[in-house]
Amino acid sequence: MSNDGSETTSGREGQGPSPSSSLIHGVDLKLTLTILGVCAALYYVTTTFDEVSTLLTQNIPPEWFPRLLIWFIAILSLILPFEHRFLERGKKGLDEGRESRIPIGAIVTAGLLILVVASIVVLGTFLSMVLVCAALPLLWGERRWKILIPYVILFPTLVALLFTKVLRVYFEPGLIGVVF
Amino acid sequence: MEAFLQGLSLILDPFNIMLIFFGVLVGVTIGALPGLSSPMAVALLLPFTVGMEPIPAIAMLASLYCAGTFGGSITAILINAPGAPPAVATAFDGYPMAKRGEAGRALGLAAISSVTGGIFSLIVFLIATPMLAKLATEFRPPDYFALAVFALSMLASISGKSSIRNLISGAAGVLVGTIGIHLTTAVERFTFGFSELTDGIHFVPVLIGLFAMGELLTQSTMANVALERISSIVIKLPSMEDLRKVRATILRSCGIGTFIGILPAEGSTVAAIMGYNEAKRFSKNKEEFGKGAIEGIAGPEAANNAAAGGAMVPTLALGIPGSGTTAIILAALIMHGFRPGPYLMNETPHFIYAIFIAMLLANFMFLGVGLAGAKIFSRITMIPRTLLWPSVFVFSVIGAYSGSSSLFDVGVMLTAGILGFVMLRHGFGPAPFVMGLILGKLVEESLSQSMIIFDNNWLRFFERPFAILFFALTILGLFWSQFVRAGGWLAGRVRGAQMERGD
Repeated sequence: MSNDGSETTSGREGQGPSPSSSLIHGVDLKLTLTILGVCAALYYVTTTFDEVSTLLTQNIPPEWFPRLLIWFIAILSLILPFEHRFLERGKKGLDEGRESRIPIGAIVTAGLLILVVASIVVLGTFLSMVLVCAALPLLWGERRWKILIPYVILFPTLVALLFTKVLRVYFEPGLIGVVF
Repeated sequence: MEAFLQGLSLILDPFNIMLIFFGVLVGVTIGALPGLSSPMAVALLLPFTVGMEPIPAIAMLASLYCAGTFGGSITAILINAPGAPPAVATAFDGYPMAKRGEAGRALGLAAISSVTGGIFSLIVFLIATPMLAKLATEFRPPDYFALAVFALSMLASISGKSSIRNLISGAAGVLVGTIGIHLTTAVERFTFGFSELTDGIHFVPVLIGLFAMGELLTQSTMANVALERISSIVIKLPSMEDLRKVRATILRSCGIGTFIGILPAEGSTVAAIMGYNEAKRFSKNKEEFGKGAIEGIAGPEAANNAAAGGAMVPTLALGIPGSGTTAIILAALIMHGFRPGPYLMNETPHFIYAIFIAMLLANFMFLGVGLAGAKIFSRITMIPRTLLWPSVFVFSVIGAYSGSSSLFDVGVMLTAGILGFVMLRHGFGPAPFVMGLILGKLVEESLSQSMIIFDNNWLRFFERPFAILFFALTILGLFWSQFVRAGGWLAGRVRGAQMERGD
């Protein structure tokens, strides 16, 4: 899904009609289609719920309420492509914060966080903390080694001591458990 | 009286006072740091209160909430970077005052206005909570359903970019709340084969994900911004003349803030903006606003802290959160085995009084902490964001994990964070989602019970006066701006017709 707020149904800004004059907001149309897709998938899931006797359900089967919500969300989402026409600040207000594509840095950050969380089973909680404390600042452009190195060593160590010794939180041992 | 004394004795325990002080310190620190907010701090601290006694735990979170609202004003005044959204309006006049060498005066005004607002709303809290709880004992499932719908619609109509998106966000939260075993039929819903989901989705990882991870990813899109700092801060309390000048503004904002806070909506930010606008509207020196008017600090500061106390009223009396942060406090109450709503007041009144006393203490503590430590708190912003946010991530992972020692919850936290980031980018606020998630059970149960009582006849909702009232308020809340616009159009037509007639 594109997040380019400047995209319109007929093209990009400067190449087609001005977005505020268009009836349909391109990005929000894609958003609506995505929401409708998710709604359809979830609706399908509700059809797979176990069937229960009406005596037990008292006419309120388990799928009734989720389906009500799915319909509600789907109907509301149909308004989204036209919403900019009704808002005081129009498209400008809606597109604030999504004018440009998601920066690559944010996508890489999300990827790194997923990787760190996935690595907890293998590396253990402590080493994963060390990994994120080193990798995230480096990814965000931190090159002041004099503050980075002590941070990478001291912060995870202090946090681990605080939580394991004082607050008795169990940390996944991972590699450390294998080695020691 | 006995319950009040019991609550007092609970809070006056030295360990509990220390916890409240800790909450205040964390609150002011988090509030002062741009990007970190009190909902995030409360969500991050929540899992670590599991092993604590419930009253000190909730007292600490409530103190953090009070102090966090004030903390944002320190950096708003000193470096023009509001630490939290409720302090945005404070920066308009606070920073110009600081630039002309009156940082201490501005901070003093902000602190005194905040404390006054906080204390005023707590007095209202003390009076209104038992009254509202007593009234709420009359509520039946249809009334509760209508009330929950009203709460969700209020959040949708007041906060964020668009009502429709907030309604969708709230409904999505309610839908996520249906994950797990259906109570009456024991049918598994949306568990996708994960045994971890049979009990339903845990609140804490979702809250941490939405508020902390979502913000972390937002921060990753931002460049480093150099902040201009006020180098010398002489802490000086405002003069009697200053206080006389802002007396009416503070009182007005106390009323506005408390009222906005009691409404189930995103209290503090809306209250602060309204407080600022009203201060300007009633001021004799309108031209000074934006250049360092003292009313421009007193108005929003009194209002945003008054809203914090006000928001606790529906949270404790009805079990309906008054703001994003109180939604998390409500989750904390549920986690600690309390039953938020009228029964809380009737069965454990000492608990309500203990929270009142804790918040009162927190107000006085942040007055001292805020004034004495303003210089230190302004330096907190010097912590590089490249080190701050990895630390937030570490605490988020531990927070999500520690609740049930499950890596699955860490995955839920991360998924919620990524979804929250995408949702926020497209204008779907996290607060309505959280509200929906927390109210989800109440909404489904009360609706199902109502439909069984009414034999599936929707129209019978309109036989209940409370339900009618809440549905009417919902419609009013959702379409208020359209009503105002229609009223303006009608008034214009009438005036036009009168002018044509030559009246």
